[in-house]
Amino acid sequence: MKSWFEEKINIGLLITLLLLVGIGLLSIYSATYDTGSSDYFTRQLIWAGLGFIFMIIVTFIPFRTLQLLSYPIYLLSIIILVLVLYVGKSVAGSKSWFGIGNFGIQPSEFAKVAVILALAYFLSDKKVNLQRMKYLLISFAIVLVPFGLIIRQPDTGTALIFVASLIPLLYWAGASNTFMLGIIAPSLAAVSSLFGITYFLIVIIILLIILFLQRENKLISAIIFSVTVLIGISVQYVYGKLEPYQQKRIDIFINPESDPLKAGYNVIQSKIAIGSGGFTGKGFLQGTQTQLNFIPAQWTDFIYCVPAEEFGFLGAFFILLLYFYFIYRAIRIASTAKSKYGSLVAFGVVSFLMVHIIINIGMVMGIMPVIGVPLPFLSYGGSFLFSSLIMTGLLFNIYLNRKEY
Amino acid sequence: MFEHTASRTKVILLFVFLIFLMFTIRLIQLQIIYSEKYGKMSEENSIRTMVVNPLRGYMYDRNGALIVDNRPAYTVTVVPAEFDTTQIKLLSEILNLDQQEIMNKIKREAKYNKFAPAKIKRDIDFKTLSLIEEYHEQLRGVDYVVESKRAYPPNVKGSHIFGYLREISDEQLAKAGDIYKRGDIIGATGIEAQYEKYLRGEKGYKFIIVDSRGRMVGSYNEGKDDKPPLEGDDLELTLDINVQALAESLLSNHKGALVAIDPTDGGIIALVSKPDFNLDLLSGVTPVELWKSLVDDKDTPLFNRATLTNYPPGSTFKMILAVAGLQEKLIDQNYRINCSGAFKFGNKVFKDLHVHGSTNVVEAIQRSCNVFFYQMMLKVGLDKWSEYASKFGFGKPTGIDIMEENSGLLPSESYYNRVYGKGKWTLGYTVSLGIGQGEVGVSPIQLASYAMALANQGKLYKPHIVNSIKFKKSRESKKLDVQFKQIDLNPEVWRLVREGLYRAVNLPGGTGAAARVPGVNVAGKTGTAQNPHGKDHAWFIGFAPYEDPKIAICVLVENVGFGGVYAAPIAGLCIEQYLYGEVIRNKQPKINLVKSEINGKLD
Repeated sequence: MKSWFEEKINIGLLITLLLLVGIGLLSIYSATYDTGSSDYFTRQLIWAGLGFIFMIIVTFIPFRTLQLLSYPIYLLSIIILVLVLYVGKSVAGSKSWFGIGNFGIQPSEFAKVAVILALAYFLSDKKVNLQRMKYLLISFAIVLVPFGLIIRQPDTGTALIFVASLIPLLYWAGASNTFMLGIIAPSLAAVSSLFGITYFLIVIIILLIILFLQRENKLISAIIFSVTVLIGISVQYVYGKLEPYQQKRIDIFINPESDPLKAGYNVIQSKIAIGSGGFTGKGFLQGTQTQLNFIPAQWTDFIYCVPAEEFGFLGAFFILLLYFYFIYRAIRIASTAKSKYGSLVAFGVVSFLMVHIIINIGMVMGIMPVIGVPLPFLSYGGSFLFSSLIMTGLLFNIYLNRKEY
Repeated sequence: MFEHTASRTKVILLFVFLIFLMFTIRLIQLQIIYSEKYGKMSEENSIRTMVVNPLRGYMYDRNGALIVDNRPAYTVTVVPAEFDTTQIKLLSEILNLDQQEIMNKIKREAKYNKFAPAKIKRDIDFKTLSLIEEYHEQLRGVDYVVESKRAYPPNVKGSHIFGYLREISDEQLAKAGDIYKRGDIIGATGIEAQYEKYLRGEKGYKFIIVDSRGRMVGSYNEGKDDKPPLEGDDLELTLDINVQALAESLLSNHKGALVAIDPTDGGIIALVSKPDFNLDLLSGVTPVELWKSLVDDKDTPLFNRATLTNYPPGSTFKMILAVAGLQEKLIDQNYRINCSGAFKFGNKVFKDLHVHGSTNVVEAIQRSCNVFFYQMMLKVGLDKWSEYASKFGFGKPTGIDIMEENSGLLPSESYYNRVYGKGKWTLGYTVSLGIGQGEVGVSPIQLASYAMALANQGKLYKPHIVNSIKFKKSRESKKLDVQFKQIDLNPEVWRLVREGLYRAVNLPGGTGAAARVPGVNVAGKTGTAQNPHGKDHAWFIGFAPYEDPKIAICVLVENVGFGGVYAAPIAGLCIEQYLYGEVIRNKQPKINLVKSEINGKLD
């Protein structure tokens, strides 16, 4: 017999979460140590405390109430996103903040939670059939409203997260394999053709194999194939027509290291930080890259290099394991929940967190372009930590109510 | 669970697993296979950002003369991670610093960042500098940087005005956030502290290429990415540096203070507190012994007597009662008393210095008749007296823009009730307040403000030393707001009280004759504060010219005796310097004549 506590609370998830937030706080402490001020650490600690309180509250919201609140919360977050464009304060050229005293709040972070709830509510409706175009389009519309408002701030990185997170969620909700292929293949083709003709050809060949194995309707397969090829070629064509300076901007995006002082500077320095950490690391507060501030604002997007440098492969791999275990537990929650709504909420959280993790760690390791996206639970930033903890609260809630229909 | 999920869970898990596998392979690649290469790169990391400190803003006096300047100073630094501690003896000998002191400084920095240079000694001389260069090879990690240091005019100290600079403390750092770094210099007292945010400027950044030992070998990308520092904003002060210099020299053998103020706007013309100290010695890091000697000095040179003293004002306070009595119509100019040289109240006798005979209010100010004001005190009463004194700014800080100020002590009925208990004190306790003795305390800056309000007939300006800020970024000059409180009295009251002040300096029987200035009508009042611990303190307050005041002044000389003898002449000389731009009284008109004749002939 499981104890009451184990029955209600997913303990594996909880322990992993506490470890990740703890590592995040230590890393922020180290990254801001030389400023002589513990401001960043203290603020993050306050936000973590607040976040945990709200996480517990979200965990115990009755399941039906959560469902009924889904649309109202979405509506509210859209209104707030509109407001911030008018009365928000500018930080680094982007109007995405509400200032309350010393604390700033980013409404776009809370929109993430709202979008997850709204999509889950919509997609769990019995009428909704993802084989039909109409419902697919409505799903996109739910995401595109906040996407458009956040692009206006402008905060492209955050806006992209919304679109990228929608695709896996549609897959989970039952979109056909063909539909997934029809979305993923052309996007891959577009990106790969920028890397060069070889990569483009590899994508085309893999696509052919998958289409062959799928044995779908021949007409649809042909359409997907030709669209993919056309997009790949037209991207090449458009690239060729661009002005040299525009080409250079794309080159830098694809390969940041071609611009070692600006876009590439952070990536080069972060690779040096990770690599020089070696197997066991340089020791807490002893990382030369971190303590000498080679990486500007390391406590935000580039936080992962702090433990990687100071605790080496052991530390960095341990963090990867924690994330993997966290995501694994979350996927289990999504797949065992009895209600479709609950399953979709849990998977929505998986989707958003995973997209952040892939883009961020990929960027820090130098295998993805530089897109300003924070790392869940580790990066400095109150609103994001807060919204990540609320998302985790949703996971706990679904686990608690996994037997509800 | 719903349709698809079983099979799709597997696909998703596989995808997630592959992603983390990819990350792990990348980690192995970076941290295990190529870790040596990256380790070397991190050691040789050749592009470093270097902070370039801006010069602090300059200070000018009211006539545009540069009075607080910057000059270069060399600071010895040590990078803790690179320093070979067996060479500590050599370094200690070169720098003439205790080995332990050097090690403490290095350790303090190493605690935070062992790769950042710790500042060991500031403002070294040229000989030390060349020794550092000479022993360059042995002294790994030892280097020097050029910083700036404050420079002051040779004949002015201005210790309590300008204030000194100090290395930022850990507590201050924790509060200030990322504007400052360890080892930065910030204003600790005076104007340097009060206007720190303007004076400090903005730091710049330089990208430099360094070799594996951290020595600069060149600038990166020809310095195109560098951000030059922005010099601090300049301050235009209300000081007249020549009056300041004269006042400092006149008080140099005394303990005391002087405040001269412009009655047209409250600008401080001179502010002196003696004994003082040499700001030069405190610029940067102060040697422990020097600091101890200043703190332990029994004459308290660090104490700002101009704003912090709390002495009875003596007879300079009599005008408060005169104003209160006249304004409240308790007396008029024809009201007379008969001074017999003493005033009996109950079984106590309050003395006067002279027998003044029949005296009205103007004569009482002129001759400083105590008996007149003993009686006035009983007529006006403690609360009205306190109310009028408060109108002139006593009992509270003046708000002058240098830190540290005393409110002084202005007793009222509630004060006596608190100290002695209700009903346990009698009117006799208050009688001596009428002549500014007993439980009343003021500072020179308060008395100077009071003299200013008497001069300009009721405009109690907030005293200030900074007139305007010249911004470096916009190149604009912004005059700071001048605030004042209006003291509303009948014009006749002002006329009578000021008449008394005029007579006190200019007519026979007046006590302030020593403040006279050739060619200018000075008005003023002397005072002598009884001092139970030794000789009395001498006060003088005054203003000039009487008809259209341009300067109001307060002088305090401690432990010497009468105000009319010791304080008044100092005031006169400073007024003369300010109004004429020089002291003319000792120049014989004849000599001037001869000179101009010679000039005439040559022409």
